[in-house]
Amino acid sequence: MRKLDGRLVILSVLVLVLLGAGGLVSGGTYLSLFNLQSMATQVPEIGLLAIGVMLAMCAGNGGIDLSGIALANLAGVASGVVVTQFVSATEAPWLFTLAFAAGALVVGALGGLLNGIIIARLGITPILCTLGTQMLFTGLAVVVSDGRSVTIGSPDPMYELGNGVILGVPYSFLIFLAVALVLGAVLRFTPFGMRLMLTGANSKAADFSGFPKKTIFTVTYTLSGLLAGLSGVIIAARNVNVKWDYGTSYLLIAILIAVMAGVRPEGGYGRIVCVVLSAVVLQLLSSLLNFIGLSNFVRDFAWGALLLGFLAVGRFGLIESLAAAVTSARSPRASKG
Amino acid sequence: MKKTLKLGVVAALLASGATAALAEGTITTVVKISGIPWFDRMETGVELFAEQNPEMSISQVGPASADSAQQLQIVQDLVAKGTDALAVVPMDPAILEGIFKRAMDRGTIIVTHEADNQMNTMVDVEAFDNAEYGAALNARLAECMGGEGKWTTFVGSLGSRTHMQWVGAGEENAKQHAGMELVDPNNESFDDANGTYEKAKEILRKHPDIKGFQTSAGNDVLGVGRAIEEAGLAGKVCLVGTGLPNPSAAYLDSGAITAIGFWDPQKAGMAMNAVAKMLLEGKELTDGMDLGVEGYNSVTLKDGPGEGKLLIGNGMVLADKDTYKDYLF
Repeated sequence: MRKLDGRLVILSVLVLVLLGAGGLVSGGTYLSLFNLQSMATQVPEIGLLAIGVMLAMCAGNGGIDLSGIALANLAGVASGVVVTQFVSATEAPWLFTLAFAAGALVVGALGGLLNGIIIARLGITPILCTLGTQMLFTGLAVVVSDGRSVTIGSPDPMYELGNGVILGVPYSFLIFLAVALVLGAVLRFTPFGMRLMLTGANSKAADFSGFPKKTIFTVTYTLSGLLAGLSGVIIAARNVNVKWDYGTSYLLIAILIAVMAGVRPEGGYGRIVCVVLSAVVLQLLSSLLNFIGLSNFVRDFAWGALLLGFLAVGRFGLIESLAAAVTSARSPRASKG
Repeated sequence: MKKTLKLGVVAALLASGATAALAEGTITTVVKISGIPWFDRMETGVELFAEQNPEMSISQVGPASADSAQQLQIVQDLVAKGTDALAVVPMDPAILEGIFKRAMDRGTIIVTHEADNQMNTMVDVEAFDNAEYGAALNARLAECMGGEGKWTTFVGSLGSRTHMQWVGAGEENAKQHAGMELVDPNNESFDDANGTYEKAKEILRKHPDIKGFQTSAGNDVLGVGRAIEEAGLAGKVCLVGTGLPNPSAAYLDSGAITAIGFWDPQKAGMAMNAVAKMLLEGKELTDGMDLGVEGYNSVTLKDGPGEGKLLIGNGMVLADKDTYKDYLF
């Protein structure tokens, strides 16, 4: 049997606890379909960025991607500026939406590729490289948009993408889940996924095994950029407008989500399902605090406490030892297997 | 069209059901960022309004960091919670357009402040007319300068619409005085007191005979005031601009700042809530009406950029050495 993943257990329990607590304090409004949908539409943009951070971290070599939200904004702004000039949102709504999304994804992938090339070919430390490109992307977005917000508009397909639901689940959330599922499968079942994790776990061993490290890094950061581009599409679909300085706080929140999900900052380990749950937990928690009407400084405090709690749990392996104690109490021999 | 009507009726029914459940309704004020003096002052107004309307549930919240995404999240959660009315000071009006539209479709009442370009709002409350404010600042400056001499202007940035409106109106006003000569106008301060200080020193060197400064961003008076004071020109060179009483106090006392102009966020907060309450009660807003808040006793009602209205008060305050102590924030 696979070893029990303590992190996954805690996160799942937390989701249930928060849903229960929210239902109790709000008299049920928190669990209303409308609020659940509302919260679900808020998760994807930050969740996608967090998965990007996770990929970068897993690759090791001090991996991190600080340029996520800046690239997401640049993708939305650049694609918006170009596409609105050539396609009319009112006359060809579908073409407009597809062109905009494609444009944003291309910009995202290119930005990620730039990160990958700088890190893999020039050997620059990821934290420095992505800090630099973060400023570069922000600066480009300012120049392209003249520092103003860019109106993307809300033709039907675009509006549906940001706010529509299918069988009660928002499209954006489904996209987020689909991306998570695909990437999870890639990490688990493909040679690329295995090499990525192994490179992160032991870079030297990867060298001696002849892994194409440069390619792995380049692809990883390109993927991260692509996710940022997708995040940019969802931001634009939700908000009608995009701006270069949207979500400045997302940078740290994305890292927080990844670390809370148990992604190892030194590389080599991280589970997408945990990142998804971790993003959901943060959303549930902050919406809950907004429902209660507590100061937003309390939210920062709660996040900090949560993170420290998770670090402690991970450090001392609390859940694993607890589970082991329970199973060994039931059948003393099971622990040997 | 029929479908929208039906939806509207359903939304209205739902909204009225929610109102009945929550006693006399909830109004939540969402500010750009919480914990800074300007919005702490606004909170005192919101609290005052809550005291005057004990049957309603009234409060103020705001993000802990200056990020439009955080404010968006708060607004979205409050809409989902079923808050009856939101009084929002948008960090970035454009980012909130989408959620405001959905909120209003759902029957939530939306009132905004400092966002006269907001398309999706029912009423945007502005403290004063920007042109009148700029002219009033300049009139005070001209009075101090005796209607003659060189003067210059500072703006936060050339892209700042309100600041350009203020200095533009100031220049118009100065034309009444033939002796006033505008030199090197529209210096960009970027709301940075240190940068403004350096720039003001340059101007004082370049034009030793300069007599007046009209500034726009909140920290400009501090930078220019310091330059004037250090040059030993306090009381000799006139400085009128937007500023807050507490930080400006020392320079007002020394005479380096002639007068500061501002609007009182406390009153603006009360005015927003008063408008939200009227909309909740289904009352009509009219031109020239009295909101029962000082500075908003006879408001101007105009058509806004979208379907909403633009409500303009006369909440402008010009304070000098003798009067700033009435507004300590």
